[in-house]
Amino acid sequence: MSKALEGLRVLDCTVWFQGPVSSQYLADFGAEVIHIERPVTGDPARGVRSIKALEIGDWNQYFLVINRNKKSLAIDLRSEEGQQLFYKLVAQADVFLWNQGMDNLVKWNLSYEKLSAVNPRIIHVTNTGHGQKGTLEKPSFDINVQALTGIMTRQGEPGQPPIYLGMGSGDAYGGIMSAFGILMALYQREKTGRGQAVDASLYGAQLFMGAPTLQPYLASGKDFYAKQISRSEAPNPLWNRYKTQDKWMYLCQTNTDDGFSALCDALGAGSIAADSRFADAAARESNNTELIAALDAHFADKRAEAWCDALANAGIPASPIETFKELAADPQAWENDYFLKTWCSETDEEVEIRGLPVTLSKTPGSVETLGPELGQDTEIVLMEMLGMEWEEIEALKAREVIP
Amino acid sequence: MSTALGDLVVIDLSTEFFGGVAAALLADFGARVIRVENTGVPAPIKNRDGMRPQEVIDAHAELAHRNKQSIALDLETDEGLSVLKQLIARSDVLMTDLPFAEQDAKGLDYESLCGLRADIIVARGSGFGPNGPDRDLPAIDELAASRVGLMSTLGEPGQPPVYSGTGQMHTAVMLAFGALMALVHRAKSGEGQVVDTSLFAGNMYSASLDLQAYLAVRADRILEPVSRLDMGNPMSGPSYPCSDGRWVTLAMPDTDRWWPIFSEVMGLDIDDPRFDTHEKRCGDNRLEMMQLLDELFVKQPGSHWEKEFAEKKMSADLIETYDYPAHCDQARVNRYVLDLDHPSHGEFQSLGFPIMMSDNPARLRSMAPCRGQHTEEVLEDFLGLDADQRNRS
Repeated sequence: MSKALEGLRVLDCTVWFQGPVSSQYLADFGAEVIHIERPVTGDPARGVRSIKALEIGDWNQYFLVINRNKKSLAIDLRSEEGQQLFYKLVAQADVFLWNQGMDNLVKWNLSYEKLSAVNPRIIHVTNTGHGQKGTLEKPSFDINVQALTGIMTRQGEPGQPPIYLGMGSGDAYGGIMSAFGILMALYQREKTGRGQAVDASLYGAQLFMGAPTLQPYLASGKDFYAKQISRSEAPNPLWNRYKTQDKWMYLCQTNTDDGFSALCDALGAGSIAADSRFADAAARESNNTELIAALDAHFADKRAEAWCDALANAGIPASPIETFKELAADPQAWENDYFLKTWCSETDEEVEIRGLPVTLSKTPGSVETLGPELGQDTEIVLMEMLGMEWEEIEALKAREVIP
Repeated sequence: MSTALGDLVVIDLSTEFFGGVAAALLADFGARVIRVENTGVPAPIKNRDGMRPQEVIDAHAELAHRNKQSIALDLETDEGLSVLKQLIARSDVLMTDLPFAEQDAKGLDYESLCGLRADIIVARGSGFGPNGPDRDLPAIDELAASRVGLMSTLGEPGQPPVYSGTGQMHTAVMLAFGALMALVHRAKSGEGQVVDTSLFAGNMYSASLDLQAYLAVRADRILEPVSRLDMGNPMSGPSYPCSDGRWVTLAMPDTDRWWPIFSEVMGLDIDDPRFDTHEKRCGDNRLEMMQLLDELFVKQPGSHWEKEFAEKKMSADLIETYDYPAHCDQARVNRYVLDLDHPSHGEFQSLGFPIMMSDNPARLRSMAPCRGQHTEEVLEDFLGLDADQRNRS
């Protein structure tokens, strides 16, 4: 079956998470993605050994999953000869992808000006920390940038520490944003034949990611959107998290009279329905803490599944709040290819991986291989793409341009 | 200056925030996006979660519907549906987050749509994906987030699960990305197809690293919140309070590299035998080190640490509030935040454009339209209907 991005060649000079995720989306749909790595050390993500103070086990799922379907070519871009060799690859590529800082980009002669002089069709994509313009100089690991956006101080109960939204949460978002930008430039190039420079920064992406609360904050300037809001003070008590006898659940009912009455019926909460403090929408909003307390007491009596079944029968949206354990067994995730199984050659067994969050009916994505070994495709790429003879390759090795 | 997607026509048949944002991303980069609003059913309830009380400007709409045209049609009648189908016949992409059953009932299933336009691209954002037992559950981000497991891992142990709302933002970009991928394929092959993504998928990808680690390692520790003073690396990940109630966070995973500077800033002995190797800092003595750092950071206000971090060029930050991007030059010059003037409500700020394109930058051509603002215009200019035909629809 054909692939949507077949024929697209990407030189992926990125490290860690955001950049590799960006090109992963392209590789999943058939682009030829060549992960360009520094000889000997490679992408530092290859060195990840633990998560949450746990050993990651016998395969590095951090690196191998986001670099799936890619080739690896090791080349020393710091040397002039490495750069000259790289230009030959650029001449035959569609996309250049970079996330190792603008200073290195210039120092290693990889700027848009340089590369577009080699190949005017090249789409030159950077994933900067904070955008190509401006003077802000700050570190740009995911959490550094998340700390700047303000989203961390918005989460959780009042008085609780700020909350980081999970390992790689912002990087993953920067990655899909970058992939989207690449395709726009590609779409445009079909019309004009010209490439261009694209930047999808981590800061830009993470601000956009905060939109549900940041956008109303920007528009109104109201502190309400910037601060922690207790669940026991949710303005709509019917749209809230509740602790049941076993786990938490999310109740999602609009605050209308019909909605409230249907909810109380489904829950068998006649006394709450009859309580004059909750008689209409405005009363339920102004007496929200009382209503939440009443519902808290009511929900504590049964298990989440029992409540959610009763609510589902009444057509009221609700869900238990699960853990990754339930998700890992959730048929909904497997039947949509959001999880996949694939072969891991490091452990010589089938492993479970994050799958394809976007699916195409006629040109579906797939996972053919997990991430490559460092430099495993160096020689073959140079021979096939550049028509190099073995002697030339040996000479490059001797001069340590390639390992 | 030309736009990246200037020749693209998209019909936006969405009611959820994420669906609107997906189409807006295409509109921001030049696509003609016609938002179809169904007058045959009650308008979707705004602020259903109550979290946007008494807004003067509908901030979500200003982000999700800028640069679009709005046409109001009664899609519960044959006449209204017929106009919608005429619009689709002249468009490249139908983007929708309507329930699958409603799409089918309205004759908007892929086969029928192909009869209107053979190479149509149908980009569908659902709650839980097109397959599986829960394909028909409503597209509500909170439901999808609840199923994914990330909510249960955030915050301190014993606290309620945390809902951030960011999963739906992943879904929005995935939907726009999928539509473009189908367009790239159509340019080569001439064939259209169906693109699917879901809030469930977006939330799963926003939980990516922890989730993938759980699949591989199956350790209970990954399922639960981990206290900030029980992190794997005292110098990367934890947050520490300052004397003025503000917080700092550290991101120096390579502690060997940073220890000489960091120990000096914290007033610790670089040769302290408890912490003089990476293995000790992140291994046996990590809990003791986090306790100690907790006691040291709280002695000074946030501004003190901010200054120290900046002077020593450390990978460490004062944790800001939304006030920061609202006043940040960097966000402005890169157009991540825009200063706008609303025709009815005056000056306000809005999120801008997360992607820079050198030759085809995003532009704000128009604010979010009123419902049906462009009905006449679209019927006349785009469909070429005369006055009589327009009145009938």
